[in-house]
This record gives sequence, C-alpha cells and structure tokens, in this order.
Amino acid sequence: MDLTEVWSREGLRDALRDAGRDGRRVSFVGGRTHLAKGQPSDVDLELDLTGINHVVAYDPPEMLAVVEAGMRIGTLRAVLAGGGQEWPVDAPEEATVGGTIATAPSSPRRLRMGPLRDSVVELELVTGDGRTIRSGARTVKNVTGYDVHRLATGSLGTLGAIVQVGVKVRPLPRARRLLVVEGGGLELGRRMLATVPLPAAVVATPDRVEVASEGWPGEVEEQTTAAKTAAAVVVREDERIAGDEAIDAPVVAEVAVVPSRLDGVLSDEPDWRALVGVGIAWVGLPDDGERLARLRRRVAEAGGIAPVIRGPGGLGDAPVPALEVHRRLKAAFDPSGILAPGRFWGGL
Amino acid sequence: MSKLEAVRRDLEAALGVDEVLSDPLALKLYARDASIVEGVAGLVVFPRSVDDVSACLKAAARHDLPVVPRGSGTGLAGGSTPIGEPIVVVTSKMDRILEVRPEDRLAWVEPGLFNLDLATALKGTGFTYMPDPSSQQVSSIGGNVATNAGGPHCLAYGVTSAHVLALDVVLPDGTVERLGAEGPESAGLDLRGIVVGAEGTVGVVAGVCVRLTPEPPVIRTMLLDFATVEECAATVSAIIAGGVVPAALEMMDQGIVRAVEAFAHAGYPTDAAAVLLVEVDGVAAGVEAQAHEVESAAHANGVGSVRIAESPKERALLWKGRKSAFGAIARIAPHYHLHDCVVPRTKLVEVLLGVYEICRDEDVVVTNVFHAGDGNLHPLLSFDRTEPGVLERVLRASDRIVRLCVDAGGSLTGEHGIGLEKRDFMPLVFTEEDLAAQACVRAAFDPEGRMNPQKVLPDGARCGDFAVAATGRDAREAIPEGTWI
Repeated sequence: MDLTEVWSREGLRDALRDAGRDGRRVSFVGGRTHLAKGQPSDVDLELDLTGINHVVAYDPPEMLAVVEAGMRIGTLRAVLAGGGQEWPVDAPEEATVGGTIATAPSSPRRLRMGPLRDSVVELELVTGDGRTIRSGARTVKNVTGYDVHRLATGSLGTLGAIVQVGVKVRPLPRARRLLVVEGGGLELGRRMLATVPLPAAVVATPDRVEVASEGWPGEVEEQTTAAKTAAAVVVREDERIAGDEAIDAPVVAEVAVVPSRLDGVLSDEPDWRALVGVGIAWVGLPDDGERLARLRRRVAEAGGIAPVIRGPGGLGDAPVPALEVHRRLKAAFDPSGILAPGRFWGGL
Repeated sequence: MSKLEAVRRDLEAALGVDEVLSDPLALKLYARDASIVEGVAGLVVFPRSVDDVSACLKAAARHDLPVVPRGSGTGLAGGSTPIGEPIVVVTSKMDRILEVRPEDRLAWVEPGLFNLDLATALKGTGFTYMPDPSSQQVSSIGGNVATNAGGPHCLAYGVTSAHVLALDVVLPDGTVERLGAEGPESAGLDLRGIVVGAEGTVGVVAGVCVRLTPEPPVIRTMLLDFATVEECAATVSAIIAGGVVPAALEMMDQGIVRAVEAFAHAGYPTDAAAVLLVEVDGVAAGVEAQAHEVESAAHANGVGSVRIAESPKERALLWKGRKSAFGAIARIAPHYHLHDCVVPRTKLVEVLLGVYEICRDEDVVVTNVFHAGDGNLHPLLSFDRTEPGVLERVLRASDRIVRLCVDAGGSLTGEHGIGLEKRDFMPLVFTEEDLAAQACVRAAFDPEGRMNPQKVLPDGARCGDFAVAATGRDAREAIPEGTWI
C-alpha cells in the first residue's frame, strides 16, 4: 500500500482523480487515532491530510472556529484556549479535526455538551471524484439548503475527504473538578445524576462513579455540595474526566442504547465506563470475538449498536435503515467506488 | 378520468371520504402558508396514522402526482405552498403524544402536535422540550422538524435538530423507515440530520422521537433598555465576550416595542431605542455569576435601566411581550413580510443600520425583533397591500436586505427555511457544484422528484446522475404565473 501526503485541496483533487482513473482504492488518514472504527477495508493508497491544517477564521465573539481539517486536536485546543474557548469534543491531542468528525466518537462530556454532530456548522468535502463542495454556513444557526455536513460527519471517509470545517465553540469553564464516588454501578450513577444539578458528565464504572463538575466557581462548589449529600465524595481539583482511553483492553466497543437498557447490556461485563443519562458505554473485551458477539446480541435486543473503536471487530451487523438511499448517496459522492470500499455500515 | 380524480377515489377508499377534500373552498384554504406566496392545491388529505401517510404516498407514486407535506401552515417561506396541483398531505389530525419516557429522556409524538402542547404536557416531569419558536402555540412539531425551527432558547440549547433523536419517515414510494435512534447513535449515515430542515422535500415525517432536556433549576430573566441600537448591540457582543452563553438573548427596537407594549402591556420602556431581553439559567451560583456578567456588560455600554423579573408571573409577562411581537404588528399595518437572515454576531449593528437605510430608501415601514445572540435578524416589513406599488417596494427592499446579509458573511435563513421565497437566492451562497451535490442528496431520497417540487433548490440545480428522472415533469417547470400575490 502506498502513502501519499497531500498539501492542498488541488493536490487532493488530483490524487483522487488519478486514483479513480486507475481504479485504485483510497483511504484518508490524519492522526491514525480512530482508524479501528469501520469494517475491514483493503485499500491501495492512503492519503495523509495532516498537511491541510491552517486556521481559516477565528474570532472569539462569534463562538465559531473555521479551520482546515488536517489540523491536530491539540493545535485547535491551543488556538481556542487563546480566545478563552474550547470545542467540547474530548479527542486525543494527535487526532485531526477532520478524522474526529469523520469517525464521530462520543465524548465523556456528551451529557452536557451534546453529540459532536451538533457542533459542526459548515464543512468542505472533497468527493471521491475530486469535486469540492461546501455546505452549512459560518453562523450558529442556519437552515439554508441540505446539510451535507450531516452526512459527512461519521461517514468514515467513505463519501469524501473532510478538508475544512466550521465548528461551534464555547467558553472554557472557569473551574473544573472531578468528583469521585467509590462504590460504582449504574444505580449509583443514576443517583448522582439525580442529585447533582446539571453535571458535565456522570460516568459509572463497575467500582466507582465519576462526576465531572465544571463551570463558574460557585457552580462547581454547588455541584460538589450536592454530590456530598448523596455519597462520600473525593474531590480532585482541576482534573478532566476520562473517556474510553481509561479502559485497558485489546478491544473496546462503544455501546449505544437508550439509558434504561444499559443495565441489561452490561450485567455480565467486568470492564466498562458508562455515560449515565446518555446511553453510551465503552466496554473492554478480550481479543477472541466471542465476548464481542455476546455483547452485540444483547445490544441488538436492546435496539442499539456496538461498533468497535479499538482493536478488531468492525461495526457489527446492525441493520441500516433506508439502504437504497444510502446506496444512492454513496454513488453520488463516490461514483467510482474507490473510497474505502466496504468500510461503512451496510457494506458500503 | 383525470389523475387527480383517480387518486381521490383511491384515497377516499383508503382513508375515508371525510379525510379527503377537493371542494374549491378547501383547495383555496390550503393554497398558501403564512408567507406571501399562493399556489394551487390539487387535493387535500388528512392522514390519521403512519399507515395513512404511507397510503397517501403510495397513491401519489402510483398516479405520478407531486406531494406537499403540511403541518399547521405557519411557515413563512412558502415551504408548504402547493405548486403544480399536488396532493397536500396535512398532518394536523396526527396530534397525539404517544409516549413520554423521562428515564430515557425522550418522547414520541405525532407530527401534527403543537409545539406548546408538548411543552405543557411535560410540566411536572422535570424535563422539557427546548425549541420554542415564537409560533409555538400553533406551529406543529412536524413543521418545526421540516424547517429545523429555532426560537429564543436555541442560543444555549441548539436548534430543533439537536432535539430530534429519531424520525419515522415515509419515503416518496410509501415505505416507512426509522431514521436515527432512540439511543444516542445509530447505524448508517445521519439521514435523520438530512430530513430535519429538508422542508418536506425528501419524505413525510410521520413520527418524531424528541429529546427531553432537564428543566434548569434556576432561571433569571432581565430586561435592559438602551438609548441607541449601537449600545444595545455592543452589549450583546460584550456579554458573549465575557464568557456567558445566555439561555436567550433577544433584541427589540423601538418600533416593535411600541407596537408590543400597546398590545401586551408587559411594561417595556417605549422611549428606549432598543431593549434586550436576556435570560440566564442553570444552577443558582452559575446564574448569579452570569447575571453579574450581563449587568456589568450592560453598564459598560450605557444601559438605561435593568429590570429583573421577580416572579414567574413577571417572567411570563416579559416573554409575552417578546413572543406576541408578530401579533402586535397588525397595529402598524394589515400585512407584513417577515425576514430571517443570519449574520456574524459582530456585524449586527452594521447590518441593522443597513436595514434601516434600505427601508428608508424604499419607503417601507420596518421594525426589528430578533435573536441577537444568534445573529439571527428578523426585519419585519409592514404594509397595506391595497396601496398601489407598495408590494414592489417591499419585495425590492427584501431583496436588498438578503444581499446585505450575505455580503456581511451571513446566511439566507436561520430558522424559517428557503421554501419558495428564497430558493432563487441560493446561488448567492452556494456554487453550482454545491447545489448539484445538494440536488443529489434530495434525489437519493426522491429519485422521481415528486416531493414538494420547486422548493429549496433553484431551477437548474441538478444532480448529474439523477437528472434524467428529474426532468420533464410539469411540477418542476418554472413557478407558474400568478403565484405571487
């Protein structure tokens, strides 16, 4: 397999048109932090997009940042911190903005910050046949035309390369605390969720519950006081809440079900971190396939999905709705079918 | 037998004769929404279930007729104006709340349910449905989904799309698909995210799973008044720059305040050039801190007075003033044309002054009430249609306002949609390739081009691969003569 670094939209367009003409299969890479997500897909060429990485527009009062998508999360974090703001997506420093959007991982603070998809307001995509198309606008609110950026988000690079994005940002919290409750379990997690007003996150594990408290100093104090009425709490000043990286296992699946079905799904699992009130749980598994299959059966009964985000295992075989619509979209955006064939849900 | 006659018989058999209207009065009633555009309906049908909607779309497919979905008809951009004698599928009779599940933070509702009826039904659960368009007393959840509706509280909480988990959508061929999921993620592309805001051009929304949001424990509502619009707008920027994201941040100019005050008696200061309605919410200490920042920003920018709502009753009264603005303007003139542009927050003053200048120039009365925190302007042009030449001046002013907003780096619409009124402005903000890609997205759902024809995309926007299927249809030709009244 070849690796080519591209430094501009034109370079990317030419590379894709050449690949299309030669029938070479392509995948896009950034920080290589989220590549496990997706069905196995053999490609002939990797296009490295980390060279397309400039700030396009950032004016803090607009609460929006427009950047080229090859920018590293760490770089974006530093740029935004300069304006006292953050993009509340908790991804690794070395990940790229585009790769993060293309794989749409869940952040531990999703309870308060919402899903990643709602923070993308504008996007430029270079399609499989090299056309550059833009959707959305540089405004926080917009209903002008069809939101192609909604399709690109989470598309695993199978519709095109995300080269530029406008994202909603928010003020950095003035204070931050991690409230740790020994004990653990979803029941205790739900109790903390019911007791602490508007926490950024409540993460339950088998042996403890972590509550992310952040905001104005008085707000954090108030949340801490409330937490202490429900349980014995260890306060860790200025500590961020961890996501899936806190799980040490060869395979990690990201379960998504309605919150009330998490108990059944996780009942026999020894190693997990669950986002209480959200319905996301990261589950650590051995690399034998069997446990993953069992987990997926339970998740399917609960009406959810469990794609693997670390190690082998792919997305699973959950049914894809409106498969014909999916096929037409794939044909429109990647007419020669060269973008990571088979990587996406539904064999697309 | 004409196609319409044949489809009428089919639908009367499937839905019952009472649910199918074709008399001239009914057709006239459904010939327009709340915009200034009028079309011609072919047939009006009232499904009562997902199966009914599916039957409507199957019949339309069988007889090769266009379909226009419609909720309450409060749309302001002509999104549900029938073009080419379509079947108008009205979801008003599908207005039930099907289930409320606080433990999963969701509720399933039918599309015809009024927005406010959902919020009211949720009282006491500790949760609410956040999007609150000013039309919420009469606009339907399905219509809100179609336009990705906003509302004052979308500043902090996001627009409708952020509050829709899943949709039961009837595709143009009559098949029913659940897009999105009750849970946080679903398999496949985010087709839910396309249907929200697609203005009924990709299918009919027949069921909506909405996300419920915990009610904030503490809310503080403040009314600030200013001697100039510049100071008022500068305060908006200062609040945001201070690291506060208010739950709502609404600006009203003197013209609208005077009209509202005479109508709602909310105690708004009628001598101020502009007022700001600010709401902060959250936990008590956070609200205290935010309110302090808001007041500091206001004082630094020459605020006249700061009024804080002392009771839920007073809060409701202040909001009544804001939300009745569009009812109150009937006191100015019998007709209005309401705009909806979004500009970067930092361009608010510049654009607002530009709007005043254009309207002075065109001799049109303008008042402004808008979501200042979002940069979402709503210039409201008031007129009396019987006055010769006034409609031309209003339309010319409208055209100039749209261009002014786009030139300032803004977008064509923040929450009302493109519909018919703004589709020809689309090339101002998108390239031909952008529009062709959007046409492909639409055609992926509706390869035969029968859903809500003529809306959103301008003539000429074609998806290459699907162009053949989309051409040669009556309904896709230019807007018929006489649709503008």
